[in-house]
Amino acid sequence: MLKYILRRLGASALLLLVVTLMTFVIFYVVPRIAGRTTEQLATMYVGRAPTEAAIQATIERLNLDQPLALQFWEFVKGIFVGAEYTFGNDVVQCSAPCFGYSFQTYQEVFPAILDRVPVTFSLGLGAALIWLVGGVLVGVVSAVRKGSFFDRIAMGLALAGVSLPIFFTGQLALAFLVHSWEIFPNAEYTPFTDNPAAWASGLLLPWLTLAFLHAAQYARQTRAGMLETMGEDYIRTARAKGLKESRVILKHGLRPTLTPILTIFGLDIGLVLGGAVLTEQVYSLNGIGRYAVTAIVQSDLPVILGVTLFGALFIVVCNLIVDLLYPLVDPRVRAAR
Amino acid sequence: MTNPGTGSRTAGSGGPVVSVRDLSITFPAMDGDVNAVNGLSFDVPQGGALGIVGESGSGKSVTSLALMGLHRGSKARITGGLTVAGTDVVAAPDSAIRAMRGNDIAMVFQDPMSSLHPQYTIGNQLIEAYRTHHPKAGKAEAKARAVDALDRVGIPEPARRVNSYPHEFSGGMRQRVLIAMGLVCEPKVLLADEPTTALDVTVQAQILDLLDDLRHDLGMSLILVSHDLAVVAGSVDEVLVMRKGVAVERGDVRRVLSAPEHPYTRALLAAVPRIEVSRAQRRAEMRADRAAVPAAGSEPEGAAPVAEAPVTKASGDSGELLLSVKNVRQKFKVRGGAFGRSTDFYAVDDVSFDLYQGETLGIVGESGSGKSTLSRMVMRLLRPSEGTIVFEGRDITHLPERQLRPLRRDVQMIFQNPYSSLNPRMTIGESIGTALRVQGERDAKKIRGEVQGLLERVGLEPSHYNRFPHAFSGGQRQRIAIARALILKPKLVICDEPVSALDVSTQDQVLRLLSELQDDFDLTLIFVAHDLAVVRQVSDRVVVMRKGQIVEMGDGDEVYENPQHPYTRQLLAAAPVLDPDEAKSHRAERQRMRRQSSTV
Repeated sequence: MLKYILRRLGASALLLLVVTLMTFVIFYVVPRIAGRTTEQLATMYVGRAPTEAAIQATIERLNLDQPLALQFWEFVKGIFVGAEYTFGNDVVQCSAPCFGYSFQTYQEVFPAILDRVPVTFSLGLGAALIWLVGGVLVGVVSAVRKGSFFDRIAMGLALAGVSLPIFFTGQLALAFLVHSWEIFPNAEYTPFTDNPAAWASGLLLPWLTLAFLHAAQYARQTRAGMLETMGEDYIRTARAKGLKESRVILKHGLRPTLTPILTIFGLDIGLVLGGAVLTEQVYSLNGIGRYAVTAIVQSDLPVILGVTLFGALFIVVCNLIVDLLYPLVDPRVRAAR
Repeated sequence: MTNPGTGSRTAGSGGPVVSVRDLSITFPAMDGDVNAVNGLSFDVPQGGALGIVGESGSGKSVTSLALMGLHRGSKARITGGLTVAGTDVVAAPDSAIRAMRGNDIAMVFQDPMSSLHPQYTIGNQLIEAYRTHHPKAGKAEAKARAVDALDRVGIPEPARRVNSYPHEFSGGMRQRVLIAMGLVCEPKVLLADEPTTALDVTVQAQILDLLDDLRHDLGMSLILVSHDLAVVAGSVDEVLVMRKGVAVERGDVRRVLSAPEHPYTRALLAAVPRIEVSRAQRRAEMRADRAAVPAAGSEPEGAAPVAEAPVTKASGDSGELLLSVKNVRQKFKVRGGAFGRSTDFYAVDDVSFDLYQGETLGIVGESGSGKSTLSRMVMRLLRPSEGTIVFEGRDITHLPERQLRPLRRDVQMIFQNPYSSLNPRMTIGESIGTALRVQGERDAKKIRGEVQGLLERVGLEPSHYNRFPHAFSGGQRQRIAIARALILKPKLVICDEPVSALDVSTQDQVLRLLSELQDDFDLTLIFVAHDLAVVRQVSDRVVVMRKGQIVEMGDGDEVYENPQHPYTRQLLAAAPVLDPDEAKSHRAERQRMRRQSSTV
């Protein structure tokens, strides 16, 4: 078991390194392949005032005139131990996970991301809880009452859910539920520690919007999985023991169905924690996703780079957690290791 | 009901524990109702044992599910009387049925690999079975019961194994666990639906012996459902033969097997491959049958242009060396060590044999013996790790794929599962003709003609050319598979369990067909199977394999009548036989062998 954990950890670290390398290639190598000179590349990273001196300083700061391997080394070193930048006569410390400075605000990228983590996490974790519980519940009921009125309605809604993008459902919800009918309070972020009730009510609509999309997918997956599982021989065995149908479904049917769903859940939650771009944008929540959108609009390359790596980190970490949980959920994995 | 001397009546107290009266089960279908069971009646006395025998579609499984009340929730409609241990299964409320399931009647299913929940320990599943019917029982008591039950069915170290997961057990052990799960509430009836069909011969014998022991020790009634008369012969008092939902014959097991009254029972008995019949006897019989009915051969002259023997071997005389396999080994890497380190595993380990033109070599072995790996090596679907394979004087061991093309023409294979080995989206004509096209034939008309000729030769209609596989039964599909193998006029055909998925009577027909075709096409066959009787009937020489090695090789009759290796003897003692008395003496012999090995 320990070996399995160590192997998974090692694999995740390696994966992160590969992701870092690819990000580096996209941001620093691809432009060169596309034909940019060192100066032009540096210009992209200077920011608002590309003076000759600033460009030279940037070349030096990012080691753009050095061999690629060294550039990558400095890039990784910056992430792990931080870096020192010289702006003219000033020496600026960029501490440990150093993704550089935003062109727009001249803030360090990483602390700026950290500032936005609570918003994105509140949004993502809350929505994940709703979509997991809601989706699985609807899926199970739909499967057990296959062909019923509930099943048809639920699956119709689910089809709508997976096909409608968030910027559509979100805008619709804003226009009607908030502004016209005033059923929901407008979306805003209040820190949980300040006022838990305000935190929840302000996030309720974004949660539901984000959860709707995923819940639809989970309901469909659960229904399909459940229908398959309930046809298995071991379900017949369970019934032959004289178990109540509810126990057959909840103990024997649900667990094998949830096993593959755990895998998707790990991916989805990692994706959302790296920034729920559309939801944050629609509801003007100042999370990581919105930060990324702003950066993209303003070609704020260091921010884009930082958010990309940060998002990748979450996907890898969430996958790692799923991998480590898997043997607990499915004992056969323990044997295969 | 007249119930002539079942002998076990004496053990019973009072009326029958299972009583079925005029039972009919229908399923609504698109075009009218389907009668799965029609007017079925039988009784099982307490402590008695009934065998229900029938081929697929006979309604035997539907009947056993109905006995458990497991038809509820499906579309099946039931009429008639069905009483199990005092519970009216047709009319009782669901709660009464649940109280009956597992407590009064327990069921052991066909496929032990899929009948246990993979994500719970067997202890969990056994304890659940006990506590469902004994809600007041504590965890510790239920666990003690579970361990007892596991011990009872011969699981070694039950106190430790109770915490294991199903995948940590072999197929035979899983079936024991399922039986233990059935026993944990000490039911009055144990219903076993094809409990050994998925298992090896020796394991099958162990499970049947176990069921027999349990029945006698615990005074349970046993209902043993099987497609195989030989499986039930030694274990039951009474037999019920079913066909298309109707009981065609019912009576004392000795009477039914020795003097069957119904023609269907007689036909079924005649189709059962018998281990005591030699290859020569069987061949003579078949050839006599064939000569007696000249029309049945569907004009061999007409088929002759298709059926022409390979020209290169015009001599046609057997005795020429066709294939020579020398010291082959097949290595597989097994993952499992730390950091993905793997260990080597030899699926085939140092196997050598020669095969002569026109003969049939039977390869017998249980699962994991390497028999299928070996046949894949001869086909060169696998590249042997060591050793040499010489086909017609040419070393093919390491030929690259490109140069294997001519070999693919000369060596063909017939696979086990006729359902999955035909492409469902191709008509059978295309499926069969593809091989000709691959080998360079361009004339579509000629291909069609050849395929249709061959279809006729294997007992199908030429007009079947444009049908899709789903329109055919298992036996017909295996005929199609045979036609596909023969279209290129191969010199060697490897049959990998060609009849093990078929009903007995269909199996018999397919075996006859193979034998006829061997005569007509001058084929050399390698016949791989786990069924000892089938192998004996078709093979000139027999190889017995175990764990990748050949333990015994020799002339068919010699191996069967005078086995040298203890493993061969063990296999032969485990093979089911039709005579109930002989079956019982075999059982005694097995028990003796088991005691011997346990004292050693």
